[in-house]
Amino acid sequence: MAMKKLLQSEWVSRLVDVLLPVFAALAALFVGAVMLLFLKVNPIEAYKALWDGAFGSSNAFAETLVKATPLLLVALGICISFRADVINIGGEGQMIVGAIFATWVGLTFTGLPGWLVITLAMLAGFAGGGIWGGIPGLLKAYFNVNEILSTVMMNAIAVQLMNFLLRGPLIDPAQAELASKIPQTARLLEAFQLPRLIPTRLHLGALIAVILAVLVYILLWRTTLGYRIRAVGQNPHASRYAGIKVQRHVVLALLLSGAFAGLAGATQVFGVNYRMITDGSASGFTGSAGFNGIVAALFGQLHPILSIPASILFGALLVGANKMQRVVQVPSALIIALNGLVVVFVVSSEVWRRRRQKRRLAAAGQDDESSPHAGGEKSQQAETDA
Amino acid sequence: MDTQTLIIGLAGVLFAAAPIVFAVLGETLSERAGVINLSMNGSIILSAMGGFAVAYKTDNIFLGFLTGMAIGAAVALIVAFASITLKQSQVAVGFVLTLVSRDLSYFLGNPFMGQPGPRLSSLSIPGLADIPFIGPLLFKHDLMTYFSFLFIFLAWAWIFRTRPGLMLQGIGERPAAAFVRGANVNRLRYFYTVLGGALIGLAGPTYSLSVKAGWNGTISGLDGIGWIALSITIFGGWNPLRAAFGAYLFALLQWLGLVLQPSLPGIPSQVLQVAPFPLMILTLLFVNIGNAEWVERTLAAMPEPTRRVTAKVLRALRASPPAALGVPFERD
Repeated sequence: MAMKKLLQSEWVSRLVDVLLPVFAALAALFVGAVMLLFLKVNPIEAYKALWDGAFGSSNAFAETLVKATPLLLVALGICISFRADVINIGGEGQMIVGAIFATWVGLTFTGLPGWLVITLAMLAGFAGGGIWGGIPGLLKAYFNVNEILSTVMMNAIAVQLMNFLLRGPLIDPAQAELASKIPQTARLLEAFQLPRLIPTRLHLGALIAVILAVLVYILLWRTTLGYRIRAVGQNPHASRYAGIKVQRHVVLALLLSGAFAGLAGATQVFGVNYRMITDGSASGFTGSAGFNGIVAALFGQLHPILSIPASILFGALLVGANKMQRVVQVPSALIIALNGLVVVFVVSSEVWRRRRQKRRLAAAGQDDESSPHAGGEKSQQAETDA
Repeated sequence: MDTQTLIIGLAGVLFAAAPIVFAVLGETLSERAGVINLSMNGSIILSAMGGFAVAYKTDNIFLGFLTGMAIGAAVALIVAFASITLKQSQVAVGFVLTLVSRDLSYFLGNPFMGQPGPRLSSLSIPGLADIPFIGPLLFKHDLMTYFSFLFIFLAWAWIFRTRPGLMLQGIGERPAAAFVRGANVNRLRYFYTVLGGALIGLAGPTYSLSVKAGWNGTISGLDGIGWIALSITIFGGWNPLRAAFGAYLFALLQWLGLVLQPSLPGIPSQVLQVAPFPLMILTLLFVNIGNAEWVERTLAAMPEPTRRVTAKVLRALRASPPAALGVPFERD
């Protein structure tokens, strides 16, 4: 009896809710293990390699965090826009434009002190991504243009803009003289590079991202602006009656979402590569962080703080999978499949979570008119209040 | 430009638009039933690769097309299962599938990179092909182009002129009402999503075995086409005829870009490559502007003759999605 009571208590069921994605990820890894067995690879050995690659040494862990940084920054923006019920698929393009703005600052103001240029460049990245996200925001709010499509098209435009600039006006003077003409800009001055935190490749951007995660949490749940953004996402009609300017908040949500992605692009340039470089495709520069950040945000239940471990997990999968591929010689399609499995399992676990929630709300005698967003929101609110 | 070149160019437009037509029709059917298949960009690439690989291995071009359709149907089945049975967000599932199938095709297609493969041969229709102007324009194509003409009218007639088509409209607009009338909403949604997926999957091999024959991995130039097809579907207002018009318009713009490039030397090549995307955004803007609140207010303030003309233009452009698009159906 006591046991049953414990299981039914609010606290336990909410704990289960929070842990559910973790179980889902473990289940995905289990299915992956079966696939490894079919390939006649020892799954324990393979996963050990994955673990070593991601967390085995301080260098490996630093690499994981370096990979997780842009994911987290993009995910923070996604938390804002998806909460406003605005689907921003344009992270890739926004990263690129943010990086272009930041790189231009870094290559132009060579006479200024390092800390000032870094600050200006980060702000420029924020602004660049914000512009690239704000345009689809305006189109959605005032012209009813579907934001999924417009953000995707903005991605395509950004890629061509990048290719044009990196092969033309912004090309590295050294490359311009060579026949190879790799699309990259000149290297940033040493003073302009984001400082490293420990003697690894881990840079200040990771710390900035974590601080921003807390700020986004405060924005969404402790300010009027955040309340309005969430209200618009849950029920635009009710929000309008409540006097919230819905269109303005839609634009703002997409603008902020893009701005965080733009910052992610800027930190990639100033913290990792020290120049903007591509292979002609979007992922050549972003490493698909603009897309993977969406997945990380969904994994983190669209909560800025939970997005931190979610981004680290996906960063670890990306870094560890490389090592696993080298050590146990599995085809890289398996790695892709493994990532896909994790996503599918996590997304499916959401169904169960929502069903539990519905039951709980029904049990509490509450009128359950809430949308999925509203439902997810409620549990997180309680969870963070606890 | 003389008439001869112009006709060949326009015939090329019809030819190049065939895969887009397939994809747009497939998406239209799926969305008419209420399911957004957002995986289109990935499934076109995957079916292009799969279709080419099978045709290359078996040397049977039709097996290649069938494989493409099977791949498209399989991806659509996942979308259907996740969105209809699991009631997941169609956008999230479709988006993840887009990425997974794109990456998968680049990896699995690696052994077939740049291989010389089979290619659909052109098939003039005897008699009709000799008609001046119309013959070379319409009747000197390959099989897939003819199919694309045929499917446009089949899809249109099915949706608007048959009883099952009426039911299809019903499950997308008012599933509850259709359910009361005896429709098995979820089973029909499965059916149309998978059927639409097969059509989307046909677009892939139409590229890799005909329009852009061969498989070249990331430089196949297929990435992005699915998104364009998705916006053309919206531009088409979920009507096969208007959607096909959008597909031809897009192909025409692309062709014009190529033709105009030599006569506009000052413009960097990226501008023409990127031009379709802002143009698509503009089209989406014009299609949707009539629905915006402030436009109605502005219209009301206009003097009468201007107001009437503008309202008419906007109404002609306007397209409204099926009311239950993306909303899972529950029986209570």
